[in-house]
Amino acid sequence: MRTFNRRQFLSLAPAATRPPSGYWVHVAREAMACRFQVTLPATEPRGIAGASFALDEIDRLEAQLTVYRDDSELSEINRNAAEVPVTVERGLFELLSLCAQLHWETEGAFDITAGPLIRCWGFFSRQGRIPDSAELESARRWVGMSEVSLEAENHSVRFARAGVEINLGSIGKGFALDRASAKLREHGLRTALLSGGRSSVVALGGELGGWLVGVRHPHKAGGRIATIRLKNAAMATSGSGEQYFVAGGRRYGHILDPRSGVPARGVAGATVVASSGAIADALATAFFVGGAELAKRYCRDHPEVLAFLVPEGPMDQPQVFGSHRGAAIEAIPIDHQLKTGHL
Amino acid sequence: MNLTPEQKTIGRRNFLKALVGTPALAALDATAATKRPPSGGPVKAALIGSGDQGRLLLGQCRKEFIDLRALCDINPNRLARATSVLAKNGYSKPRHYENWKEMLKKEDLEAVLVATPLWTHSDIAVGCLEAGKHVLCEKMMAWDIPAAQRMLAVAEKNKRVLEIGYQRFYNPMYQAAYENIILPGLLGDVHFARLVWHRNGSWRRTEDPPPQLDPRPWGYPDWDHLLNWRMYRQYSGGLLAELGSHQVAVANWFFNSQPSSVYATGGIYQYKDGREVNDHVYATYTYPLGQTAIFTSIQSNKFDHYSEQFMGTKGTLILRGETEAFLFNEEDSRSTSVEVSKQTSKPVIDASESLKADAAGHAASTATGEKVDRAAAYGLEIAGFCSVIRSGASLRCGPERALKSATACILANDSAAKKVVLAIAS
Repeated sequence: MRTFNRRQFLSLAPAATRPPSGYWVHVAREAMACRFQVTLPATEPRGIAGASFALDEIDRLEAQLTVYRDDSELSEINRNAAEVPVTVERGLFELLSLCAQLHWETEGAFDITAGPLIRCWGFFSRQGRIPDSAELESARRWVGMSEVSLEAENHSVRFARAGVEINLGSIGKGFALDRASAKLREHGLRTALLSGGRSSVVALGGELGGWLVGVRHPHKAGGRIATIRLKNAAMATSGSGEQYFVAGGRRYGHILDPRSGVPARGVAGATVVASSGAIADALATAFFVGGAELAKRYCRDHPEVLAFLVPEGPMDQPQVFGSHRGAAIEAIPIDHQLKTGHL
Repeated sequence: MNLTPEQKTIGRRNFLKALVGTPALAALDATAATKRPPSGGPVKAALIGSGDQGRLLLGQCRKEFIDLRALCDINPNRLARATSVLAKNGYSKPRHYENWKEMLKKEDLEAVLVATPLWTHSDIAVGCLEAGKHVLCEKMMAWDIPAAQRMLAVAEKNKRVLEIGYQRFYNPMYQAAYENIILPGLLGDVHFARLVWHRNGSWRRTEDPPPQLDPRPWGYPDWDHLLNWRMYRQYSGGLLAELGSHQVAVANWFFNSQPSSVYATGGIYQYKDGREVNDHVYATYTYPLGQTAIFTSIQSNKFDHYSEQFMGTKGTLILRGETEAFLFNEEDSRSTSVEVSKQTSKPVIDASESLKADAAGHAASTATGEKVDRAAAYGLEIAGFCSVIRSGASLRCGPERALKSATACILANDSAAKKVVLAIAS
């Protein structure tokens, strides 16, 4: 598997691979308000059964992690953790611990407590509006992982004050794919591509030099800005080209910088390859918020993370930071896209 | 049988889904299904009868399987056209013959492909088999039952390979349907098959006769009787022989049985142009274990096209036009969807930020829409025939099955003529 650095970006030719033959089978189910899909070679006799078990696991995680059901474990935390420590299932506790770690590692750009801010901006109800500054200031008091205590000994969660809440929307899909991928392995499956919506992908194995995944162009509907070959790696993409509102001639995207409380700017699309779906999901959001500077620092300090950032300026070249042994980017340079009408 | 585009998509996906995890799915690519050439080299062969069907066969001949060295036809124009078909496949110019008996004497042949009018099948096939040649004879096997029985007996006596041209047995789509849907019982209990072959046209051909051709010594009073031999009872079995016998062979195959009785009706209703065979035929076949197959062939409406449809307690299988297969489950669970798509060099999925519309279920995959290549089944048939000659393996169709289908179709014609139900001896 080739890896890739920034300087090589424009000179890469597509990898030579033999043309595939045969069929894929795609097993899919609706969960977490999107389509989860497991793609396997159709020659795999246990494929559909294994994929069904994997999707069952995603159903189970949705029931545990959703904020849209009062009886989920996460809702119980949000309801009670300001008053008493809430003991949670081991897997959920590990996920919350990972969220805390990623929060600190990304200098606060990834934050599962940003719910009060998102509510201020009307993004939960999909009715975007600009909050006044007093509203924002008030909401910011409830935001930040310092508001959340995690007690490893008894797997308990405690909030510092009432009004704090946790939302796993920016990591839940990738986490679910990791668990689903583990289920596939338990069932003896070694080759599969799992996806949650379009934004989260986990590659198990990788035939023909890796699973070929396209990255949509954030500026051009229907266009593709790169393809990435993935082998035993996870990928996530973050952006706000789809979910935003316009007010006073200005565009406000749905991803907020939890540190300032206002929509993040500067990046049109952030794609991250990492070793787990949860980490890829979280970092894609973090790099969308923190931009090239954060991505550069993070990738310098953390091996096996590849970031592919498309700046907001339509003629700005994408930027690549870091590398991952399970990923090779075959980018489509912008001048090539213009020439061939690929856009 | 007409399906909406949505039904077609669902039915096609269901069919492919039923093949998941089996080699049959890979074999749907006819190119992948072609076996390697037999050891022992290409089979030295000739073609007798270079009309439309003969040329269709020639177009599918491959040099590594069959060494096509001679052609025989009483019509020199057709010999010339057949030669150019062979040339396109890289064959050098074959020797031409007017008389097949002369060809057998002069040529060093192992096998003969027979694609002549139905009434001549038996005499030619038997002559070739008695001369020690293997024979691939176009369907229907013979004009009457004794003639077909004679072919089978002579092949057995001479220990030669005799295959009859039911190309569906070599079509990977039919093989996949049989092995992965019929055999495992995916359709449940199947009591009914509908065999449909509907056209809107006269079936009559027009072509100028070659000036030097006198058809009379060959058994035809004039050029029209030769050109349109399918219209005349003394040469032809009509729609049942030319079309129905294909589909009855499939019903027998999938039911693993043969009909015990038939009742047929029909008549010359649309084209009262001097033809002697019915232009509308309706035949009801009863099988011993409570199955029924109804064959309809009409020449006044093509809306239904042609297909074989198997209706079971759990599902419906439709094989349409030899190119498309659809499977419909009686009760379809939609919570978990399964789709099948062809692997390509394009990305398996396209990733992007999460979309508002994702909740509506964006399909990252597209179910395959490609069709099986109908003509390729003939190529597999010829390659299979040659491989059996070299290896001694068993034929996919074989003369026993062909005889059963022929018997059923010949008796259906008798039933329509006599207006009685006829028993079919096994």
